[in-house]
Amino acid sequence: MAKNFGKWLISGPPVLYLVVFFVIPTCIMVLASFRYAGEYGGLAPVLLHDASGAHLNLTLESYQEFFSDFIYSWLFIKTLIYALVTTFFCLLMAYPLALLIARSASKYRDLLVLLVILPFWSNFLIRIYAWMILLGPQSAFSAALNGFLGIFGVGPVRLLFTPFAVVLCLIYVQLPFMVLPLYANLEKHDPALLDAAQDLGANGWQRFWRVTFPLSLPGIYAGIALVFVPVLGIFAVPDILGGTRGIMIGNLIKQEFLEARDWPFGSALSIMLTIGAMIIVGGAALVAGRRGKGNV
Amino acid sequence: MSKKLLAVSGIAVYAFLYLPLVVVVAYSFNNSKLNAEWVGFTWHWYRVLLSDDTMLKAAGNSLLIALTASLASTVLGTMAGYALYRYKLKLLPVLVMAPLAIPEILVGVSLLIFFVAINLTLGLLSIMLSHIAFCVGFVAIVVRSRLSGMDESLPEAARDLGATPFQAFRLVTLPLIAPGIIAGALLAFTLSIDDFVITFFTAGVGASTLPLQIYSMIKIAVTPEVNAISTLLMLLTLFLIVVASRLSPDSIRGR
Amino acid sequence: MSRLFFLLCLVAMPVFAADELHLYNWNNYIAPETVDRFEAYCKCKVVQDYYSDNEELLAKLAAGAKGYDILVPTGNALASLVRQGALLPLDKKLIPNLKNINPAYLNTPFDPGNRYSVPYAYTVTLIGYNVEKMKQLGLPTDTWAVIFDPKYLARVKGRVTVLDSQRELMAAALKYLGYSANDTVEAHWERAEQVILRAKPYWAAFNSSSYIKELTVGNIWLVHGYSNDMFQAQSDAKAAKRKFTIGFSIPREGAVLALDNMVIHKYAPRPDLAHRFINFMLDGKNSSELTNMIGSGNPNLAALKYINPEIASNPAIFPGKDELGKLEMLQDLSMEQRRVLNRLWIKIKIE
Repeated sequence: MAKNFGKWLISGPPVLYLVVFFVIPTCIMVLASFRYAGEYGGLAPVLLHDASGAHLNLTLESYQEFFSDFIYSWLFIKTLIYALVTTFFCLLMAYPLALLIARSASKYRDLLVLLVILPFWSNFLIRIYAWMILLGPQSAFSAALNGFLGIFGVGPVRLLFTPFAVVLCLIYVQLPFMVLPLYANLEKHDPALLDAAQDLGANGWQRFWRVTFPLSLPGIYAGIALVFVPVLGIFAVPDILGGTRGIMIGNLIKQEFLEARDWPFGSALSIMLTIGAMIIVGGAALVAGRRGKGNV
Repeated sequence: MSKKLLAVSGIAVYAFLYLPLVVVVAYSFNNSKLNAEWVGFTWHWYRVLLSDDTMLKAAGNSLLIALTASLASTVLGTMAGYALYRYKLKLLPVLVMAPLAIPEILVGVSLLIFFVAINLTLGLLSIMLSHIAFCVGFVAIVVRSRLSGMDESLPEAARDLGATPFQAFRLVTLPLIAPGIIAGALLAFTLSIDDFVITFFTAGVGASTLPLQIYSMIKIAVTPEVNAISTLLMLLTLFLIVVASRLSPDSIRGR
Repeated sequence: MSRLFFLLCLVAMPVFAADELHLYNWNNYIAPETVDRFEAYCKCKVVQDYYSDNEELLAKLAAGAKGYDILVPTGNALASLVRQGALLPLDKKLIPNLKNINPAYLNTPFDPGNRYSVPYAYTVTLIGYNVEKMKQLGLPTDTWAVIFDPKYLARVKGRVTVLDSQRELMAAALKYLGYSANDTVEAHWERAEQVILRAKPYWAAFNSSSYIKELTVGNIWLVHGYSNDMFQAQSDAKAAKRKFTIGFSIPREGAVLALDNMVIHKYAPRPDLAHRFINFMLDGKNSSELTNMIGSGNPNLAALKYINPEIASNPAIFPGKDELGKLEMLQDLSMEQRRVLNRLWIKIKIE
């Protein structure tokens, strides 16, 4: 009885908040994906009133549109690839950093974590503009790279307005979301475990791979969830840096809500994206759960 | 991993993180209207900033919203993270993950329609409520990952020694997961202070935040004044947090 | 904790002070001096909010946002708002300065009789360029061919940007092909799509925002953009003492004219202040300040004598009679047409 009460007390408020301020608005948009678009934008009414009473004014046309042309699924796959690459490199870069901070003397740890987050309290746009400067044709970096490539006779490469610029900035923008969960997990690893492993004859790499890495898996999964999923819906980075080739499905969704004023289709696209993301993450979690049964 | 290799790769990542920031701060002193190349040194933009009421008000709003939203979402998110870990609930995992998956523009439009439907006057409050909604999930996931693998025997031992469940939670579990909570709070703060899309749709008349203000300048010129306020905002936030951590008792930091 | 709660309550209360005018406008589309003078004149406060695209304005209003008095939509967005019945009819008795407006800009198809709107400012979508580079590469600057024809594009590959706008880019391509910018024949749209796809590999980006910066700095040499943005780039380049100058001109095939209008939202809290504001802005001197600040076109005849001569004499900002004849204002499309165009645009973006 007390346990049940505790359960509702702890899970109640967040559930309630999310139901009111997330589930209900989302249901509005799920419904919207079955509605017709308003003549001048927005949404057409749900109920049409005429001589014979009220009729439900709903349609499947948005979903039909999605499945009618492979171009939408293709864009989703392209976005998926960008998201996977971004997540992979984020993990690759975040792990050493999180490990370094977790292993540092405790009085420095908070400061080091703060230093990771600090750049992200400047404005997003201004950081992207900084990258435009760094990747622009006149930057020192570009000049050095092209000078280097020029030795091999390779023509000058443009860095800006390319898919490379998009992925680079996506990695940059998402990095703290991988570092923080990883750090939160790594910080609690008991150094005694590593000492024990060393006593048993494990070398540095083995200690990492057989002790640290498996223990950090929950942190890795958390980081992947916080990076991979949001990147799928991003549009600001490809908008500014993507040139003519770098668009992602988020750009299309934005376009549907704004220029095309086709809210039902925008909603349908978003829902398909969400379902796709949940399937991937859910599937990965299932696989991880089965494999990780023996882990602490 | 050899200590040296770890240190070098860690520092390399820090360098990557700070490279654009160096540009941002440096260019706040740039004697050119555009954020495109270095011309010369000047304090001009800081002077412009200090007399720019609109920008300062927007920055103030951003800070207020971020502080409130991160506080509320940390509380709710910690509860959710703990519930995810402790109780095998079916609904909560989906509720927590979904806001991350749904594209921001959909969340923004849906919240706007919702607020209009319930007749809530748009303003700072509507922005705060929206931010909390999407930050809770982030905090919950971080806290959850910190909790998993926690030694259950510790709070149990506390209970055996006579502590109530609440005391066991407060005096044993909470300090153990404190780094996770703090990490979640930092994430929530970062998300809130820089959010554009959702804020755009749920902002009311006269309630501007810094990202909205800056975005509206995007067509004209994102002058170094923006670099100046970014620099100042970063420094101010850093200062606030250092002060806050000095004031908070050590037990909360889990030492 | 309780202090925080109190603070929250404070900000949650709707802060509608007695005398406030809520202006929802493009950023940098009104001179600060003008706002100050209006505040002194009406003894009220002007609260400004900004959008950077008509579609953002329309989306927020469509979702139900309220509280704005004055909006400044462009022609086609105005048409949409009128048809939706989202605007308050103007009381002409309160805006006698309407007589200052050049009749050529009144009575547009968007709002016949100017029941709801009053012209504010206009821009022309045209070609901006780095004068020295164009001369050096021997490229013409008075035709759309320079951004659509591969034989010219080959010389500026990677140094060209076009607007990230379905309507604008399509209109430019249609004009290049000799059609009207408002042409809705699907076969013509498909020809325009081909033109765009053929030129796309030579373009650096679809960009509606930072192209001014890139042009001024010299990274980009040729842009498809708005006349007041080009004016800004030109002034910025001069101020930064660059080794090149920026020029801009209306292509001979014609171009799009975007006329922005002041309107009052149906649910405006202070229509009285709104009318006073409109009349104030229709005064010649007040109207001229925006033009002098950003080089926007001005439909107000009484403003001409206050405008800097170099701006007033620029045919790309103040087109003469012949040029005006070649300019068209974009009409709003029907839902069906928007869908077709949107699909074309997706193919263009993804190709």
